[in-house]
Amino acid sequence: MSELIATLKVQIIEQLNLQHLKPEDIGDDQPLFVEGLGLDSIDALELIVLLQQKYGIKLANPQDGPQVFKTVRSIADYITAHKSK
Amino acid sequence: MALYINGIGCISPQHTFYNSVFLPEVKEYTTNRMACVDADYSKFFDSGSIRRMGRLMKYGTASGMIALKDAGIDVPGAISTGTALGLPEISQKFLRSLIEVNETIVSPTAFIQSTHNTVSSNIALLCGCHAHNNTFSHKGFSFESALTDAGLLAKENVDNILVGAYDEVSDYKYAVMKKTNELRKEPCSSLDVYGEKSHGIIAGEGAAFFVLAKEKSENTYGSFVGNKAFYKPESMEEIKNHILSFLKENNSSLADIDVVITGISGAMEADSVRIALNKSLFSTQTIVAYKHLCGVYMTSSAFAFWLASKMMKAQQIPDTVILENRNRSPKNILLYNSHKHNHSLMLFKAC
Repeated sequence: MSELIATLKVQIIEQLNLQHLKPEDIGDDQPLFVEGLGLDSIDALELIVLLQQKYGIKLANPQDGPQVFKTVRSIADYITAHKSK
Repeated sequence: MALYINGIGCISPQHTFYNSVFLPEVKEYTTNRMACVDADYSKFFDSGSIRRMGRLMKYGTASGMIALKDAGIDVPGAISTGTALGLPEISQKFLRSLIEVNETIVSPTAFIQSTHNTVSSNIALLCGCHAHNNTFSHKGFSFESALTDAGLLAKENVDNILVGAYDEVSDYKYAVMKKTNELRKEPCSSLDVYGEKSHGIIAGEGAAFFVLAKEKSENTYGSFVGNKAFYKPESMEEIKNHILSFLKENNSSLADIDVVITGISGAMEADSVRIALNKSLFSTQTIVAYKHLCGVYMTSSAFAFWLASKMMKAQQIPDTVILENRNRSPKNILLYNSHKHNHSLMLFKAC
């Protein structure tokens, strides 16, 4: 899991062009949206693209988005759960 | 209808983003490609939006915001822009990713910025302008079309019109220009491009914006009297006729003109007619050139518009742009630009 979280941080920085951040600046349980990293709705779309392109996972129910993309750990959990399916 | 130029903003391959100075140092290029000198964009955009913007999006939008700030205007009465190629770098990024993922799911960020009107829309969003917002894309007539639009809007009582142009030289465009032998082959200084043996051009880019208003302000640079465009003239005589009739239409004559800004590019094949014209028609005017500063691109006449504005306000002509000096003060300025078959004229008057 920790390896996946580390990889995800690198991929998020690259996908969202967060050039001012390093992977270690993003906490595993830090909220990604609003008060956390300050991501917005376009970033949510970018994260959906990331999931599909890098992990082949489609977000089946868009209403799950806020929960799935809450933190890096929650994304990693979602990937782990859906990769094994 | 003459309009006052009350604010300007320009980001180009030179240091032009500070309006308090006028070409403080000239940047010399020895390659056949010029790139914009970037401003500190963090002063214009928050970190959240800046990370999504492509290069042209940044310098195009910032130029517009500089012009508005310079004019002391929060929200313009209308926005009218010209761009020949839109935002090719980011559009190509989007198209490439579409191919890479086999037309499945692609990044929305590049898609959002891949239309020609992205810059003018972004300016409107930033300043909260819900008024007329048009982007013209007509090759070498793009900026000229935006100016015509601004003139028509002014006649309909729209004031403080933000008008501008922007283009970039993308890697792909540069490769095409190289392949079609348009570019200068031998390395040479950009400050020495108008020699008799020069062949090929230097590719350039830039963005320039202006606030055109009906009333003069404390910041007024001068007035923009009018413009005219004509396509593929068949002879030098035809060009002469266009120039003389344009001046007459604007209640002016050749004798009134102090400075002529010529759009010669450094490629002798294309410049020979313009040089002959300068000799025969403009024998008493100071002749100024500008494409050695910004390079050749389809909306470079906006850079010339910026140059005219600065010269009128400063009442000074920088040495670096003078081709023929007849010691005339820049009071009445005629711009004659051409890009391939697109020819255009603009007339300016100092206040």
